[in-house]
Amino acid sequence: MRIWVVSEESRDGQLRRVSRELAAFGATIGDVTVLRVTGERVPAAAAATALAERAKSDAPDLILVGATPSGRDVAARLAAKLKRAYFSECTALTIDGGSIEATRAMYAGKVRAHVRAALPAVCSVRPNAFPLADGAAEPTLTDIAASPAPGLTFVRFEPSAASGGRVPLSEARVIVSGGRGLKGPESWSQVEALADVLGAALGASRAVTDAGWRPNEEQVGQTGKTVTPDLYIALGISGAIQHLAGMTSSKVIVAVNKDPDADIFKVADYGIVGDVFEFLPAFTDAVKRVKATS
Amino acid sequence: MRFLICIKQVPDSTTRVKVAPDGTSIVSDGVTWSISPYDEYAIELALEHKDTAPDTVVSVVTVGGPRTKDALRQALAMGCDDATFVSGEGLGPLGIANALASAVAELKPDLVLCGKQASDDDQGFVGPALAEALGWPHLSQVTRISSSSPGLEYWKETEGGHEVWTAAGPVVLTVQKSAKDPRYPSLPGIMKAKKKEIPERPATGLDDPVKIEIVKLEPPPARGAGMIFKDGDTKAFAQQLATLLRDEAKVL
Repeated sequence: MRIWVVSEESRDGQLRRVSRELAAFGATIGDVTVLRVTGERVPAAAAATALAERAKSDAPDLILVGATPSGRDVAARLAAKLKRAYFSECTALTIDGGSIEATRAMYAGKVRAHVRAALPAVCSVRPNAFPLADGAAEPTLTDIAASPAPGLTFVRFEPSAASGGRVPLSEARVIVSGGRGLKGPESWSQVEALADVLGAALGASRAVTDAGWRPNEEQVGQTGKTVTPDLYIALGISGAIQHLAGMTSSKVIVAVNKDPDADIFKVADYGIVGDVFEFLPAFTDAVKRVKATS
Repeated sequence: MRFLICIKQVPDSTTRVKVAPDGTSIVSDGVTWSISPYDEYAIELALEHKDTAPDTVVSVVTVGGPRTKDALRQALAMGCDDATFVSGEGLGPLGIANALASAVAELKPDLVLCGKQASDDDQGFVGPALAEALGWPHLSQVTRISSSSPGLEYWKETEGGHEVWTAAGPVVLTVQKSAKDPRYPSLPGIMKAKKKEIPERPATGLDDPVKIEIVKLEPPPARGAGMIFKDGDTKAFAQQLATLLRDEAKVL
């Protein structure tokens, strides 16, 4: 079976972890080619055109793409171009003869679906869906030059003020997320101090991004990002159904809230009923100590 | 300038979705239906543009069964100018994209907007597939449309900021949540929407070579009862928690 992984690089030019996860998974089920579409700010249609051209000769049975915003974009356009089945944001894949069964969330995470289609198919796969062994070999990349993109012109980049320099939320292993219980944007210096110690990305509830305390791109939940980190720390988040939908697939959930009846405690592995402002500095120190002695 | 927004009717985001006994569909009794949230943001982007450029025409279209006409009425009540109902049920994403492409050919919009994904199947497939069917470029994750001279600028959300793009011709935008919440329908808007004719056309040009089978739907796995610390010293809990996260959960 021929597997393609369409890889993606992070802003600093490193191959993304999800691309390495997919390359490692692909190798367990077939012959993998890891492709890199080269070019600056290549629109999805142009990347898909270049990939579809190569697919004519390679005839991959399964095309895997990391379910990052741009990965999903390319995967969808490519599947449409090739007229293949497409499953987005898969969390598990099983190949069975000539068909593929994917596990994926529907209804903003309120339902888990098992869906099947005949191969060939295209899947975008969520970060952390497949394990990556420590010291796994770096995959060899095959470059494909993107064709020029007609119709669209890149004008400029407008950086957002807040979350520069951190791991992207969608593929973070640890996320520290804040809600209305943090009372105002000024509390985020403490949240960031904890995130720094953990090497974590920052998340937020919708109430927080709607109030303008944090940028929209940090919103977790329905109409925000769905995340699957190893550790999700919810600070002062009550746990509206839309928020829970976006984070209940995290491996370990920690919740801190002063309301013992908050819904967030129903999904928490570790819950602390207490004052988040007492918790934050104490926990940041404790994590520093624990990490230093491990 | 004409904007066409492709919308989908889905269970309202506050609905507790239940899997039906057949295990492959959801219980539709008691579901409140509404426009998929990202589609509402797309409508808002178009209406915001119309607020500053009143000669803008904002059209909406949906593909679905009779019930989904309500979503079009809702869009009209928000302030959209006209609506087209394409009747067709049980279509896959490529079939829907083709049905929408024929509507686009008829309505001749300058710009097509879709939500970045519908909040029921969460695939994010139809927008790019529609652009592909039309042979147009597309931009995803758009949160803002601004005027420049000449033409419009489209703000695509990426990690750490926005890429700003322009398009030489028609383009499909898939819309991400933007800073401004979608407006509520006004009372006069609701009255007007009730009286509006909604032309209906059958879905045509259906060519969907891809068959998807739903094997099983299930509720997300229940999480085991967690360890809750209460009625004690929060600082001491914090210390204990850090140790547990390292030694028991092994995530530090």
